[in-house]
Amino acid sequence: MLELLIYILAGVGLGVVTGLIPVLHTNNLTPFFVALAAGSSLVSLNIAALIVAMSITNVFISYIPSTFLGAPEEGTELSVLPAHRLLLEGRGYRAVRLTTLGCLGGLLLSAAVLLPFLAVATPAYELIRPQMHWLLIFVVLLMIALERSWTGAAWATVIFLLSGMLGLLALDTNFIRGDAALMPLLSGLFGASVLLPSIVGGSALPEQHAENEPLDMRANAKPLCAGTAAGAITGIIPGVGPSQGTVLAQLATRSSGTDEFLVAVSGVNTSKTLFSFVALYAIGKARSGAAVAVGEIMEVGCTELVFLVGVALLAGGIAAVLELKLGKLAAKHIEKMPYRALCIAVLVFIVALTVYYSGLAGLLVLATATAIGSLPAVTGVKRTHAMGVIMLPCVLYFAGLNGSVLSALGL
Amino acid sequence: MDDKTITRLGIICSLTGLAAIYAGALSTRPRITPIASLDNGFIDLNVVISGHVVDFRRHEEGHIFLKLCDDSGGVVSVPIFSRLNAELGESIELLDVMEVTGEVVLYQGDLEVVPDQAGDVKVVHTPPMKLSSLSGENAGIPVKVQGTIVEREIVGNGNIILTLQEDGGQLSTFIPYWITDNGLPELHVGTMVRVDGWLQLYDGKLELRVVDASHLHLVEAA
Repeated sequence: MLELLIYILAGVGLGVVTGLIPVLHTNNLTPFFVALAAGSSLVSLNIAALIVAMSITNVFISYIPSTFLGAPEEGTELSVLPAHRLLLEGRGYRAVRLTTLGCLGGLLLSAAVLLPFLAVATPAYELIRPQMHWLLIFVVLLMIALERSWTGAAWATVIFLLSGMLGLLALDTNFIRGDAALMPLLSGLFGASVLLPSIVGGSALPEQHAENEPLDMRANAKPLCAGTAAGAITGIIPGVGPSQGTVLAQLATRSSGTDEFLVAVSGVNTSKTLFSFVALYAIGKARSGAAVAVGEIMEVGCTELVFLVGVALLAGGIAAVLELKLGKLAAKHIEKMPYRALCIAVLVFIVALTVYYSGLAGLLVLATATAIGSLPAVTGVKRTHAMGVIMLPCVLYFAGLNGSVLSALGL
Repeated sequence: MDDKTITRLGIICSLTGLAAIYAGALSTRPRITPIASLDNGFIDLNVVISGHVVDFRRHEEGHIFLKLCDDSGGVVSVPIFSRLNAELGESIELLDVMEVTGEVVLYQGDLEVVPDQAGDVKVVHTPPMKLSSLSGENAGIPVKVQGTIVEREIVGNGNIILTLQEDGGQLSTFIPYWITDNGLPELHVGTMVRVDGWLQLYDGKLELRVVDASHLHLVEAA
């Protein structure tokens, strides 16, 4: 038991590191643990616990850099604007508190609805699996239609297609290895493109207030529930990320406020992370890099699932406290730090990591993704359309057109 | 710089980048890779391989596990999972020539090429060998033969020995008892069958050993 606890705490520690360092993702570390499990006598269950703890903690902690540095990771991209709005009002810590509430609430609610989810997940997945491409197309069209103006919808379509084409070329050809492509793609679309305006504009942060007034639980209950439900759905449907899940949750609850948004998006994110492990048992599919790793380490049955959910809850409890502590620390010191230099340092780190993981081909992907990622802000449409980078390849894959499209392109 | 200029710049950079990546992808598109050259450096990459089917196992859940061997002398596993198998329009037999496009993955320490969709698998059926051309020197190699059953005998625990005849040549075919209950077609004297298996010498006599029920195909009923 003590040994298991040490593994979980190690996972939490690694989750803090991967969460605090923008761009560094748990997926960068999981192959090491899979190899460790295969090549050593270490107990597989302990290593799986470490991966789950790391994965859950990473979701909580990644909201600190995405709030204070504006360098979001996969899944936090849509929350950039609302969190930055609060940051520029000197209320960055409030954004951290709201996302802590969303993450923890989403995790608890997900664990609570696990049994009914298991009852419906398998038949629901079997039902939608043959129609998955239509479902994804519906989500894409809905996102575009929500732009509310013809110009906005046109730009949304252009951004979706450009990012989709980039995803297809980077993920489905031999130009770059599939796993090495994801990092420059997402870092460019949702990281570097957000940092550049801060660097060029030379923005400075106002004084941050570590306010402690109670959060309105009643007002946040609705987005939390909707976020959890959206997380459960996106946990089994590939290609649909937390951003799309949040927009669906907002549509369902008809909420558009900053607080509700942050609670919903963070709820979607932890819920999706937990359900990606549940999907291993429910539908036999891994829906995240961490879930793939756990699936490779051990067979997930009913007992293992209960164990993994227990680990997630324990890690989530610790991560919530850590997010608040670290968030307060960040709020206290961020204004004293040279913000522009910090953003430049993060950008340099993104470039260096891209070259290290993906080589020069990755650098070209990063540059193209950054150019596409800069379009939503200047054209005034939602950044989530750039998720076409994953969604378009997914639509083509489920429609069975992947090979035909690549052949038509001469690839 | 105003938003309009940034938008234009963004579009130009995006399209230039996409064009460069497209050109890069074109230059790295997979051509037929010699199987012997596959190593860990290929993991996660898509390759095209072409070779003879030298091993063929059917899993009870509908998956097919093949091994392909090409002129380079390399052998690699090709799993065709049930979903894809159901979409394939044709049967695969031992010694057929296949061209497979798929991702190289490492599974339990061995490299596999995993096709993803029906279009990734092309099969060219090879003709069966003439029975009269077979001799003891061929022992140990996989062959595909076709002939009419002229004798059927049950020995031991339920093993079946068929004697096939074609073009004046004859060959004994040994079907072990553990596969006789596993989807084996009705076999009667006078039935023409096509059989894949390994040649072996038994008591100095050349014999074809069948290892899976799916290696036996009815050509013409008696």
